[in-house]
Amino acid sequence: MKTLFYFIFILSSSLIFSAGEYRCGLIECDKFEADVSDKASLQRGLSTYMNYCYGCHSLKYSRYKRVAEDLLIPLEMYENNLIFDDSKIGDLMEISLTKDDAINWLGAYPPDLTLEARLRRPDWIYTYLRNYYPDSSRPYGVNNKVYQNVNMPHVLEDMQNTISISQYDQVIYDLTNFMTYVADPSAEQRKRIGTYVLLFLIIFTAFAYMTYKEFKKDLK
Amino acid sequence: MSENTIGKKSLDWVDKRFPIIDLFERHLSKYYSPSNINIWYLFGFLLLIVLVMQILTGLWLMMNYTNTAEGAFTSIEYIMRDVDYGWLIRYMHAGGASAFFALIYLHMFRGMMYGSYQKPRELIWVGGWFVYVLLCAEGFTGYVLPWGQMSFWAAQVIISLVGSIPFFGEDLAIWIRGDYIVSGITLSRLFAFHVVLLPILIIAVVFFHILALHEIGSNNPDGIDVKKHTDQDGVPLDAKPFFPYDITHDFYALGVFLLIFCTVIFFFPEGGGYIIEYVNYEPANPLSTPAHIVPSWYYTPFYAMLRAIDFPLFGLTAKFLGFVVMAAGIAIFAALPWLDRSPVKSIKYKGIYSKVFLAGFVISFFVLAYLGSVPPTETKNMLAKVFTFLYFAYFLLMPFYTRVEKCKPVPERVGDSV
Repeated sequence: MKTLFYFIFILSSSLIFSAGEYRCGLIECDKFEADVSDKASLQRGLSTYMNYCYGCHSLKYSRYKRVAEDLLIPLEMYENNLIFDDSKIGDLMEISLTKDDAINWLGAYPPDLTLEARLRRPDWIYTYLRNYYPDSSRPYGVNNKVYQNVNMPHVLEDMQNTISISQYDQVIYDLTNFMTYVADPSAEQRKRIGTYVLLFLIIFTAFAYMTYKEFKKDLK
Repeated sequence: MSENTIGKKSLDWVDKRFPIIDLFERHLSKYYSPSNINIWYLFGFLLLIVLVMQILTGLWLMMNYTNTAEGAFTSIEYIMRDVDYGWLIRYMHAGGASAFFALIYLHMFRGMMYGSYQKPRELIWVGGWFVYVLLCAEGFTGYVLPWGQMSFWAAQVIISLVGSIPFFGEDLAIWIRGDYIVSGITLSRLFAFHVVLLPILIIAVVFFHILALHEIGSNNPDGIDVKKHTDQDGVPLDAKPFFPYDITHDFYALGVFLLIFCTVIFFFPEGGGYIIEYVNYEPANPLSTPAHIVPSWYYTPFYAMLRAIDFPLFGLTAKFLGFVVMAAGIAIFAALPWLDRSPVKSIKYKGIYSKVFLAGFVISFFVLAYLGSVPPTETKNMLAKVFTFLYFAYFLLMPFYTRVEKCKPVPERVGDSV
């Protein structure tokens, strides 16, 4: 009876946990493994984001100062080079594009991307940005295999045409890595604290076990 | 130790005014639990710990949460980013909700397996069932608060079920929402339920549940009445005091539980999309319906039942019937003490039918949980019907199969052979 229950439990839980599969539009997602401890990669990603994406896509839940501190960029350097309006370093990373202008110019309001890497998962972003292809039927002459008939033009087209495939992949890797970081900026701190918490709990559980065993002796 | 220490004096002073020693003895040091209880008896204690954790983390979340449609989503990200250790508090609360349900399902299954609901523990069972119902409401209202896409659309789907009730359903749904669609008005009232009404009710019913348990005492895996054989002081022979023997076991279990729980919240806080759904990282948008609306994993068995009923009957709509079946799937647990006619309590001594039907129930619960979490297809819908039937068969056929099957004799005392 017991074995039957455990068998059912394992079988059914594997059924449940295999349920969350998703695909990248017309193709399989490429493998992407973030490394948010690679500060150089995050800095390069931030620079790409600020120069190519930030004109339209805000990061409005994040603050300049937090990004600067987490990416080990001196605040003064950050203020001088990566804040384009009169925002203060402690401000949220909002953009000056208004909703009405965006709808007038682009037909839609470009979404905020602070949480994009949590919403769509990093491997989706990594695949998406590397799968634009020419399509004359679309207004900007490009389409995307991951997001069919996407409204966004291929902003990185000029860059892609001037560098090698592997260099472009690296640019997108860094950008996706940065977006993974900004979606969940506490991840590194979380894992560091988590390790100490688990170490403490192992000791706690060991002592709790010994106490339990000691008292159990009385009962024999 | 001398008789006149400050500690002893203060204890005496308090005890003359409040029965602290009597309470300690009655509920801990002279509260006896059967000597043969096993690991299935640890979940009640863990549930109590999780309840306390949810109340404390909820309190801290509330300090920075904004309960308006405009501010809710942003305030969650404010907690996650700008509040010191806000992410930890929020992951504990979100992970705590999943842990709460995982533990309560194990706790309920224990009761079903060992017949803990049987006479004289009917009220303990019904009280516990009521805690579960309240917890479902608490989980639902809490799920809406981050005001992401899934929060909004899950609320929309669930509240619209009320609208399927004939005659006055639509008016009732508007009354519940306070609006024609789910809106900021709905959000703030669900917030009020989540942080005031439901927690108070849960604490009150948990108190009742424990008080009723301590009056009668725990059942055990053999279903033996350990109070039948006592020594000359009235102490049950096959039992041990809760303090210190059970409490030390419970703390060991707490360590193991926290190891699992902390591994999840520190290293996999989204739980692969089962604890925090990815779609919920997009702010609620009434104009854009997500492709696939799913409830949290702990409701999916009942969601599968709702979807399994896709045919109208006797002039009632399929939606209403599905709603009724779903509600019945939850409500029917309360009837267990009166459905079970077996002369024995534990599955160990029950006959083959009970074992088969209980196994069928467990299988159908897991299969329905899976079916409720994936987009429906024709085959899956057929399966959902079959397993909904099997789920209810466990309950509705119980009065028959428990009466006709041949049970094994129950030993008189723990450790006796028959």
